[in-house]
Amino acid sequence: MLKKFLSVSLTAGLAVSMLAACGPQDSGEETGGKTDSNEKPEKLVVWEDKEKGVALEPAIKSFEEKYGIKVEFKELGMADEIREQLPLDAPAGTGPDVLTLPHDQIGALATQGLLAPIEVDEKVIDTFTESSIQAQSFEGQLYGLPKATETPVFIYNKEYMEAAPESFDELYDFSKDFTGNGNYGFLALWDNFYFANAIMAANGGYVFKQTDDGLDADDIGLNNEGAVKGAQYIQKWYEEGLFPKGIVGENGGSAMDGLFNEGKVASVMNGPWAFQGMQDAGIEIGVAPLPKLPNGEYPQTFIGVKGWHVSAYSENKEWATKLVEWVTNEENAKIRYEKTKEIPPVKSLIEDPVIADNEGAAAVAVQSQRGVPMPNIPEMGQVWEPMANALQLIVTGKQEPQPALEDSTKTIKQQIEASGAK
Amino acid sequence: MIDTNVTKSTHRKRAFFLSLIPGLGQLYNRQYLKAFAFIVLAFSFIIAFKDLLNIGLWGLVTLGEQLPRDHSVFLLVEGIIAVLVLLLGLCVYALNLYDAHLNGKRRDLGIQLNSIREQYRNVIDTGFPYLMLSPGFFLLIFVVIFPILFVILLAFTNYDLYHSPPARLVDWIGFQNFIDIFKLDIWRRTFISVLSWTVIWTFIATTVQITIGIFLAVLLNQKDLKFKKLFRTILILPWAIPAFVSILVFAGMFNESFGAINNDLLAFFGIDPIPWLTSPFWAKVALILIQSWLGFPFIFAMVTGVLQSIPEELYEAATVDGATMLQKFRSITLPLILYAIAPILITQYTFNFNNFNVIFLFNGGGPPMPGQTAGSTDILISWIYSLTLESKQYAKAAAVTMILSLIVISVALWQFRRTKSFKEEDMM
Repeated sequence: MLKKFLSVSLTAGLAVSMLAACGPQDSGEETGGKTDSNEKPEKLVVWEDKEKGVALEPAIKSFEEKYGIKVEFKELGMADEIREQLPLDAPAGTGPDVLTLPHDQIGALATQGLLAPIEVDEKVIDTFTESSIQAQSFEGQLYGLPKATETPVFIYNKEYMEAAPESFDELYDFSKDFTGNGNYGFLALWDNFYFANAIMAANGGYVFKQTDDGLDADDIGLNNEGAVKGAQYIQKWYEEGLFPKGIVGENGGSAMDGLFNEGKVASVMNGPWAFQGMQDAGIEIGVAPLPKLPNGEYPQTFIGVKGWHVSAYSENKEWATKLVEWVTNEENAKIRYEKTKEIPPVKSLIEDPVIADNEGAAAVAVQSQRGVPMPNIPEMGQVWEPMANALQLIVTGKQEPQPALEDSTKTIKQQIEASGAK
Repeated sequence: MIDTNVTKSTHRKRAFFLSLIPGLGQLYNRQYLKAFAFIVLAFSFIIAFKDLLNIGLWGLVTLGEQLPRDHSVFLLVEGIIAVLVLLLGLCVYALNLYDAHLNGKRRDLGIQLNSIREQYRNVIDTGFPYLMLSPGFFLLIFVVIFPILFVILLAFTNYDLYHSPPARLVDWIGFQNFIDIFKLDIWRRTFISVLSWTVIWTFIATTVQITIGIFLAVLLNQKDLKFKKLFRTILILPWAIPAFVSILVFAGMFNESFGAINNDLLAFFGIDPIPWLTSPFWAKVALILIQSWLGFPFIFAMVTGVLQSIPEELYEAATVDGATMLQKFRSITLPLILYAIAPILITQYTFNFNNFNVIFLFNGGGPPMPGQTAGSTDILISWIYSLTLESKQYAKAAAVTMILSLIVISVALWQFRRTKSFKEEDMM
């Protein structure tokens, strides 16, 4: 009996003492482990997009010569690999100092504490277009400098169209004449919110209200009068059979590309990424900014801005920022355009003959200035699906614009709430 | 004599309690080598795993206390490993207690204890299978059990974009995720309609693919059929093409305005174009057709194999008794096929229940329905994917995964228990 008591109390005592000793013993002394120093680091690590390293190499070389800091770079898929590896590699100390991202991921990664806000001179900021800087800002802070921009433009088949129309009314009349027998005058994926927003925004709709501190996720303007008007205009093109049902839905894009490449379509709304495939298909294309809408406004396309950012786990943030400034300066931006055909939103370059004389690049550059940056706050993730659903219901005639947009806005609000944003 | 001995001597109790410190009980039983082994094992366990257990268990309970030192997800992982290691240690500890108690009892009963050589033989004889199994078992723990535990635990946290390391800590929130799933308007409203389509989809798509598979296999197994090999090869082809390629090709073929099915096939028969992609009903029909096409070759191949093994005498006897073709099929072929492949058929059903690929690639769950967050062909898994992972609600995704697994596991278990294949009785 005594032994039993002894052993029980012994085990209990042992357990208690173990629990008390639990946990890391160094509490309180932790300073974060991250020390920012102005001393020159030996090297900086850069994560660049796949197949874009050619444009980075000259910039790195001149940076190394000027500052004597070695720069290493690694090519990773920008939209997936970098986004997935950063949260694991950065805290583990194997991450980059500088990395590239599409700007709509800035919000999520900054919320996760993986990106560091940067401070650069007002002069430097002034060299970029306003909308591209807006795209790089999140919650009132600048999180990077723009590297390249892209946005949908008006692409036409020169066989059927001599020049781009001035207005959508003109295009509509042309399309009425041209469409038939499997041919189409103008096609666009307006059941996809990425493209449809251009029309809705030009009529007064907006995703999130732009305020001085960034975007306000509580103020959604997708069911306001303008958005509904835009959606009605969109609906018109489908209702009158100018857009076939076959380009609606998930695989509509490939159907539309196929038709254009077969030479059955006179013009489309699409991004610069489509140029190559069309030219490869043997079609002589002309490119222009999108024509004016019936209300006299230009379509406000979504702009995608790729940027350079500094990792929050970089130990040399100041030098990393310097490198970001260096690779985005006018000289290196020009090199980037020449090597990769990506259009840098650098004001002086847009007027430079290199870009201004190239039809495609100039059209993208001009359209970029008329567009709005895709919202970069994480709440945007809740917008795509409900809006795609609403637009599809509208263009297939299953629901009228007003109730469809009311429904989707309600869903977006509920989903934002359910995602734990509040 | 022995009886009195039992009541008097208490070696088994003493050995047991001494063994609370590993090895002492064995020492008391005068099994020195074994005692030494247990003591060394215990010490090395404590020394080797002290830190892991300490940080791991602490991390598992708190999920981290201060930033930026603590990374909640890493701590959770470490915690699970710590628990697994601890469980293994406890198993050895229990073995130590059991051994001490057993040998103490033998002494109480006056039985000679095993000598070292006998112990060795004992271990080799009875322990050999376990020894061989252990590498695989360890692997299993980390490859299978570890991820399952991770998902289960994740379902009870608030891990999402806004509670995401390294910027924030993750916390335990109990059953809140499960409550949310049924409480939140956008989820609950859609849940029932998605669930019912999932069940219909699972049942019809799988049954059709099984029926076609069996039918074609039996048809091609007819004795007098010429060019059997050619037909078999052709019928296996849908299986040889990667499913995602076929699905994408089908998506193109089903296109309402430009697809080959509406423009060529149906037009040839004078049928009006069918809205395969924009009408909920026809989208469902198209999906079931595609899945039948993708799924039947597997059943076909398997049933063809089973048919080879059905003895010819059965059919001969049936012919002598005057049975018709249909009777032979119903009483001989079908029961023997089902007997052989029933477990696999069940996995076919569970597979289609979670058949994400075909839904996602064909039309992404569309077309949409007014007032719902899911498309009309979304099944549970594809709906959850778009609701949670695209918006990084990891914890909710884990919770729903758990619910889905429970449904699948319980149906599968129930059916497995009813099939004869796992009962060791001969049917023939």
